[in-house]
Amino acid sequence: MYNPGYYEFYCGVKTVAGHHALERIPALLKELGASKPMIITDKGVAAAGLVTVVAQALEAGMPAVVVEDDVPVDSDVGTVHRIASVYLSKGCDALIAVGGGSVMDTAKGVNIVVSEEAENLLDFAGAGVLKRALKPLVAVPTTAGTGSEVTMVAVINDPSVNRKLLFTSHFLLPDIAVLDSRMTLTLPSHLTAATAMDAMTHAIEAYTCLSKNPISDAFAMEAVSLISRNLLSVVDRPDDQEGRLALAVAANLAGIAFSNSMVGMVHTLGHSVGGVCHVPHGTCMSILLPYGLEYNMHKNGRWTGELLYPIAGEAIYAATAVEKRADKAVACIRQFNQALFEATGGRHSRCFKEVLDAQGKPAVPREKLADIAQTALGDGSIFYNPEEVDFEDALMVMEAAWAGDPLDRSLVKTA
Amino acid sequence: MGQFREVTSGRRVVQKLYITIMLWFVGRAIVAAYKSDPEVRREFDTLPGGFTFSLGVLPVGPRMVIRKEQDGKVRYLGQGKGEVMDLDLTIKHMQAFFMILSFQESTSTANARARLYVDGGVPEACAVVRVLDVVQVHLLPKFIAKLAVKRYPAWSWTRHILVRSKVYLRTVTGI
Repeated sequence: MYNPGYYEFYCGVKTVAGHHALERIPALLKELGASKPMIITDKGVAAAGLVTVVAQALEAGMPAVVVEDDVPVDSDVGTVHRIASVYLSKGCDALIAVGGGSVMDTAKGVNIVVSEEAENLLDFAGAGVLKRALKPLVAVPTTAGTGSEVTMVAVINDPSVNRKLLFTSHFLLPDIAVLDSRMTLTLPSHLTAATAMDAMTHAIEAYTCLSKNPISDAFAMEAVSLISRNLLSVVDRPDDQEGRLALAVAANLAGIAFSNSMVGMVHTLGHSVGGVCHVPHGTCMSILLPYGLEYNMHKNGRWTGELLYPIAGEAIYAATAVEKRADKAVACIRQFNQALFEATGGRHSRCFKEVLDAQGKPAVPREKLADIAQTALGDGSIFYNPEEVDFEDALMVMEAAWAGDPLDRSLVKTA
Repeated sequence: MGQFREVTSGRRVVQKLYITIMLWFVGRAIVAAYKSDPEVRREFDTLPGGFTFSLGVLPVGPRMVIRKEQDGKVRYLGQGKGEVMDLDLTIKHMQAFFMILSFQESTSTANARARLYVDGGVPEACAVVRVLDVVQVHLLPKFIAKLAVKRYPAWSWTRHILVRSKVYLRTVTGI
């Protein structure tokens, strides 16, 4: 166990998890003094009938609900301000975010604007700018991945500078996280795979990057174990309610872990790919995860090696020599991505050249890699990566992740 | 109340003096590095004109303030009293800052241990931390600088010798 000289850990979110957890929301909101919540969601979630499930669960205890379902795939500043004006005009007093990371981040952004009566959301960008509690926020994730329901971070796109802005504050933590297995039952297999790999990345980076601590490690280990044991079976049998709940809990645990231990270069580069090429975050994470581990292995191989246990199980861990465990863990993650690629009929991308946009064209043209590397240098997660990452380093990793070739570790610059 | 003796907390005078001197030196060295090192200049080029940042210690400890003027020049403003900051990098207490400035704990480790409080834009904070890393490599002997940065850079000998000499000269003379 690694015990740093000093660390801080905090999770102030009440978590309600189970097969019929949604029905608890009215009582929990009343405890917080709210009576007219606004549901923020996106059209995909609404079309899947999930908002109806939530509304029915609220019906008996809290019938007056405003629904706003026009959140784009990448939350942006304009959407936040538009929804905030609806919230104020309808006289709402709480927010229920029903969706994935983009919806959660949008709800957090809206909460900043309505609570601070802000004219410009950008005034609150950065770390620690918020100074007081916001309106009650209930987070109902419909993907098992982002962990946004327990994180103090919101990432919101600013199209004017083509950059994802980071908002960090304890006040961005939702008051309540509701994990209900009904919310992820209809998630398509390729999205189940990508979002779960996002959660896997949260847990693995929390465990292997500079801010790791014993409490986060415990959450991260269990998250990796739950995902490793349940993801492939859920992709094969999407109606597996127990497996769905296990993945939702894993995403929650991973969210708590990385919210306290932060993440490293997989997210540094992933945020940048998302900002420049609009590739879904989970896809970026699943592709970049083995590369981030390879790049840092000379610094944190010990921690990566320990993760072989929850990734591959006791037998493989015990049969692998200590000095080989980190390499084996990376190989297992690549095998995992390959298995997901096959199980989803090729919709789970293994490298960036396989990622297609909505029109079926390559989403990450090779000539954009330099832009991605440059943008990455302004991402806060770079601070927490064990090894230094400069422009050449970022470009080298992106080139390998684009082509799908394992990283040539002899090219990684060391001190 | 009468039976209790009032205790005044001890002041870490030497520690505070050391931090004040180091901040003064680092502040001047940043300006010197901006004038001498193309990498530092490139980092400042990404910051907007008028951008002001500080590095200091809570609650009211010493700090140093740097501003990039509208004409692009970089100035050290001392303690910068009354200046409005675009970016505040603040260490949470004196002892933590002493550990950083005495190289018992690297900047990245201090940040990972939540000792650093960032108030302002993240991309700008990244640029400023990179500037601080370069300045530390210029100012410190290799065996100490290796403790302060994540990766000691593989610079050319001209940068190690000539640029470093210029940084030192300009830091001391203010030219």
